[in-house]
Parts: sequence; structure tokens; C-alpha cells
Amino acid sequence: MNNLNPFVKPNQTKPSCMEMLQTILDGEASEEQKQYFKGHMDNCMPCFKSYDLDMALKQLLQSKCCGGEAPQDLIEKIKIQISQKSAQ
Amino acid sequence: MELEEAPKQHYTDKEKGEIFNNEFLPHINSMYNFGYRLTLDRDDAKDLVQDTYLKAYRFIESFQKGTNAKAWLFRILKNSFINDYRKKSKEPNKVDYQEVETYYNSEEVDRQITPDLRVESLKDMIGDEISNALNSLDVDFKTVIILCDLEGFKYEEMAKILDIPIGTVRSRLHRARNLLKEKLSEYAKSMGYNKA
Repeated sequence: MNNLNPFVKPNQTKPSCMEMLQTILDGEASEEQKQYFKGHMDNCMPCFKSYDLDMALKQLLQSKCCGGEAPQDLIEKIKIQISQKSAQ
Repeated sequence: MELEEAPKQHYTDKEKGEIFNNEFLPHINSMYNFGYRLTLDRDDAKDLVQDTYLKAYRFIESFQKGTNAKAWLFRILKNSFINDYRKKSKEPNKVDYQEVETYYNSEEVDRQITPDLRVESLKDMIGDEISNALNSLDVDFKTVIILCDLEGFKYEEMAKILDIPIGTVRSRLHRARNLLKEKLSEYAKSMGYNKA
């Protein structure tokens, strides 16, 4: 079976569900791995549930913790210091 | 200072200015967010970001034009934080990675799956809860989540920014997310979820 699982690398043991899930969620999976995992999720309830939760968490982090702008005075200060340095 | 072992570049002052303005400055919002999440203080974040940009300019000839400026800047900021800021603060903030790796490689991880947290309870959380939970993590765990989930860096880029093997990126990320879920699970309980 192992040789059918595209997550298995030569000389390595079969990856756990968590390892496969993480590879998928973080966009590190190949097309072949994505297809395999789709089929795997149909038969693995923990993966199915964890996928939804982990995806929701990732999206929430992106929407709630990103954004925000650097203060304008910081940008101005950096620009001034760089122009002084380049003039030296 | 460089992310890749690239030969030293030679730029004119005009080119340096162009690289700085077109490749470095566009990342300032992400840099400030990273600096703030590391220091949890707006003034310290400003100092850290300013210091990072000055260093980036000073070492600009170690940077190859058109390559991954964002990863390069993040690496400088992370190193500045560890070498300068963290030394000044008394906070030890160290993690026993041996314990982390051992934990990750144990069967315990698969059995544990996730803390008692549901998608529905996550969706009702306001930004502050997520943000506070993230901020409360140890700096090394917080960092991998910021790099991966907030900034979208690939494992390979994270390994270079943090100077650790890809396997360690994976395991640290896994542990960090479980810790974050534990924190959020506590919030969820306080909100009345997970009682059924």
C-alpha cells in the first residue's frame, strides 16, 4: 500500500494523518498528493474534521491578524535616514 | 546576512535607492506587524523595523536584486530581535526543542488530534481573541504561525529565515497550532461552547 501513497518518501516511514493534513493545508502538496488526500478523507473521520477546523483557523488568522499599516512617521523616518546615508 | 549564498553585488547609489524603494519598502506593513507581534509594544516594533531597514540598506550588496526581498527582510528582523532586543529584555522565552521533537514524533500526537475546539465556536470569535491567543504563544511558536499563516511563506523559505531544517519547521508549526487551539478552546469554553 505504501508505494501508492504519494506522501511516502523513499526510505521513510508512512506519514501520519497529521503530517499529510499539514502538507495539504499549507499548500505544500503536489497534485498527486492532493488527489490522494481527497480519497483518504472520505474514509478518515478525524482527518475530515481536522481539515475543516484547521482551514477555519488558518482563514481566521489571516483575516483577523493581518493587515494594519505601519505608522506613517516610521516610514518617513526610515526614508529620511536612508536619504542621509546615501548622501554621505 | 544574506538568505542565499549569493556573490556580493555592486550597485550604484541610484540602484540602491531603487531596490530600497521598490523591493524593500513595499513590505513595511508586514514587517511592522511581525515586529509588533514579537515585541508586543508599538514603540519597540518601530525601533525594530527601523533598525531592520537600516541594516538592509547597509548590507544591500548582499542582496541580489529581484530575489526574495520579503524573506530576506524577515530574516534580518528576526535576527535583530534575537540578538538585540531579546538580549535587552529579561524574558527568557526559551523552548526545549528536544521535548518538542520528541513529542511530535510520539504516537501521542495522532491520538490527541485536537483540543476540544469546533469550527462553529471559532467562527464566533472576534479578532481580539485570536490575536491575543497568538500573542500569548512563546515567541518561537508564534513566529512560525506568523510566517506561515499570516505571511504565506513556504516551508523552504521559513527554514532559511529561521535557520532550521524543514523537518523542524513542520514539527514546530504542528506544535504551535496545537498550542493555539488549546488557548482558543479555553476561550470557547468561556463563551459557553463545548458544553453539549
